[in-house]
Amino acid sequence: MNWRDQTVFVTGATGFIGGRVSERLVQAGVPKVRALVHSMHRAARIARLPVELCPGDLMDRESLRTALGDAKIVIHCGLGPAGSIVRGTENMLAVAHAAGVERFIHISTAAVYGITPPPGSETEDAPLRRTGDAYCDNKAAAEKVVLDYGKRGLPVVILRPSIVWGPYSAWNTRLMDDLRAGHVAFIEGGRGACNTTYVDNLMDAIVLGLENDAALNQAFFVTDGERVCWGDFIHAHMALMKPAPEVGDVSRAEIEASRGKTSGLLMGSVKATVRVARSKEFRQMLMEVPATEAAMKKVWTWLNSLPPEKRERLRTRLGVRRPAAQPAQPKFIPDPVTVATQSTTVFFSIEKARKVLGYEPRIHFADGMKLVEQWMRFAAYL
Amino acid sequence: MKTPIRLAILGCGAITRSEHIPAVTAHPGVELIALVDAELSRAEGLIRNRGLSCQAIADYHEILSQVDAIINALPNHLHLISNQECLGAGLHVLCEKPLAITAADARSSTELAEQKKLVLAVGMNRRFAASHPLLKLIMEDGLLGTVQDYDFQYGGAFDWRSASGFYFDRAKAGGGALMDFGVHMLDSVLDWFGPVSAFDYQDDDWGSGIEANVLLDVKHKGPFGEIPGHLQISRTFSLKNRLLVRGSAATAEISVNDPEVVVVHRPLAGVPVSHTLQLENFPGAKSYYRQLDNFVNSIVHGSKPEVDGWQAVRTLELVENCYARKRRIAEPWAEIGTARKEARA
Repeated sequence: MNWRDQTVFVTGATGFIGGRVSERLVQAGVPKVRALVHSMHRAARIARLPVELCPGDLMDRESLRTALGDAKIVIHCGLGPAGSIVRGTENMLAVAHAAGVERFIHISTAAVYGITPPPGSETEDAPLRRTGDAYCDNKAAAEKVVLDYGKRGLPVVILRPSIVWGPYSAWNTRLMDDLRAGHVAFIEGGRGACNTTYVDNLMDAIVLGLENDAALNQAFFVTDGERVCWGDFIHAHMALMKPAPEVGDVSRAEIEASRGKTSGLLMGSVKATVRVARSKEFRQMLMEVPATEAAMKKVWTWLNSLPPEKRERLRTRLGVRRPAAQPAQPKFIPDPVTVATQSTTVFFSIEKARKVLGYEPRIHFADGMKLVEQWMRFAAYL
Repeated sequence: MKTPIRLAILGCGAITRSEHIPAVTAHPGVELIALVDAELSRAEGLIRNRGLSCQAIADYHEILSQVDAIINALPNHLHLISNQECLGAGLHVLCEKPLAITAADARSSTELAEQKKLVLAVGMNRRFAASHPLLKLIMEDGLLGTVQDYDFQYGGAFDWRSASGFYFDRAKAGGGALMDFGVHMLDSVLDWFGPVSAFDYQDDDWGSGIEANVLLDVKHKGPFGEIPGHLQISRTFSLKNRLLVRGSAATAEISVNDPEVVVVHRPLAGVPVSHTLQLENFPGAKSYYRQLDNFVNSIVHGSKPEVDGWQAVRTLELVENCYARKRRIAEPWAEIGTARKEARA
């Protein structure tokens, strides 16, 4: 089977990864790309491509059957509603299996090992354990379903990228917003492993997964293969800004002390959630998940319906500061999710992808940053 | 013709819900007779939710004999046929932009309206924001000195929840960002600075005909001489969302989000200052209400509407010329894939 002559079906096509996958398929000259679109108004980026926008919902098998059409290749980047990652994936697998799909590439995540992957999870043979995080655990459970379908004869390949970055990535744009707002710190000197996966490197791995039968029924870490730390990632973005913003160091002891001083774990996570939810990029990401959309809309409608003085009281109580009216703060303490994300010491190994897939990251970190900078200038982030 | 004008709204999508119904129900000079939508439940739901007492109709042909005028808010590709049938039946028409998806079609509707002596107004609501006439006054008065050039940017993550989703279908929408929001911007600058004598157009359409980003450099020849302008439109990124008109003495700024005022920036004894100008005695209503009011007055007095069909023809001719001579925006960050072996020979 030569994938270049096939109709390719992409889920999550209105998202960052699926958008780039669609572009690359068009560039490769694939005769037909069918893009699953849940929310049509989110499709502006891919609507400019000669791809077929196929309305459908990962929660609705009938709609998936129609959307899949005659495609024999599925690249599953879609998530579905946050709590239904597993069911959405299972629906897609079932429909693909029944339709005789010849290759199913499942975009998983290295976060199947948790937001802070523990030492020992450097290679794919590390066992999956419950982490307590809904996203991580659901993505891990989805992998199991994918492998089940693999055993039943659906040719599946699982790719586990980590911090997928590049043009359009919220990892990049949100960091710029946070830097501008003074909401960034080097946690423990920024030594945490960042495990960057440039989106085009991921696409190269997808192509290899399509071409390589030795990849079937297996999972592969996919990163840029460089030991980029969070400090490097943050510094690279600071360098794009003029004048470069000031970013302080924060130690684990300071983070813990600050959490103890404020309102305990529960209040800390409420604050973090509010702060994250307030970020535009994150909201945009969430909105791609249909169920969240309704919930978030309700919250925002409610928030906006409050009288200003009540809103202000709520803000004060939650410790959410307005960027403009922010009083001088001795030290910015990142929220718990950021701390967890930036605290791993694990650099995932891509040796298996190298050996089995023939994967070699083409875009190095410095080159990727140059492309991101060019894109950011075009997209008015700089 | 006497008021109230008996009116039907064709199409119960996003713009009807958010703008036309509030304007129509607030205006004393119109009586809403019917909401029309091929999906009847959409019209019925709207009538129920808004507590309206008009009819819900699935086929506009049924209502032609019962009304004096229509607001046409159907998807773009249906404007031509529905406008012509309504004009043919002797109805006045306020049509959402674009009047048609080709200049030739817009022209034929405009000629038909003239022949029938009916009002054909085009929904360029931005013309009814106070900043539109105000900027004209500012430039004519010489407050900016000699007008030199302008920069006009509008962009944000596309979020238009149209009921039919027609906007990503080339045959139905007629184009992407330029045809959609671009026609508002072009209509404004053509009205301020006069006809375009030269242009350079780029977009990021990869073959679907539905561009998300537009870069357009133009040169106008008009009342203020030869004025170069730069327009940028995006459906994927937030831009500055403002117009800057630079003059030898001062710069005028209109924010897309606050189009009721014009801010003038200029140095005062070398110190940069800005002052906000607004029209006094300008009706405080929303632009859609003013647009409807202008339509009603044109019908009642037999006068020309603020934005008539010929102005839409002018704008659509420029859009067509842009599409005909388009170049691809350079996207070096996206060209990476073609370097690899998957690129076809």
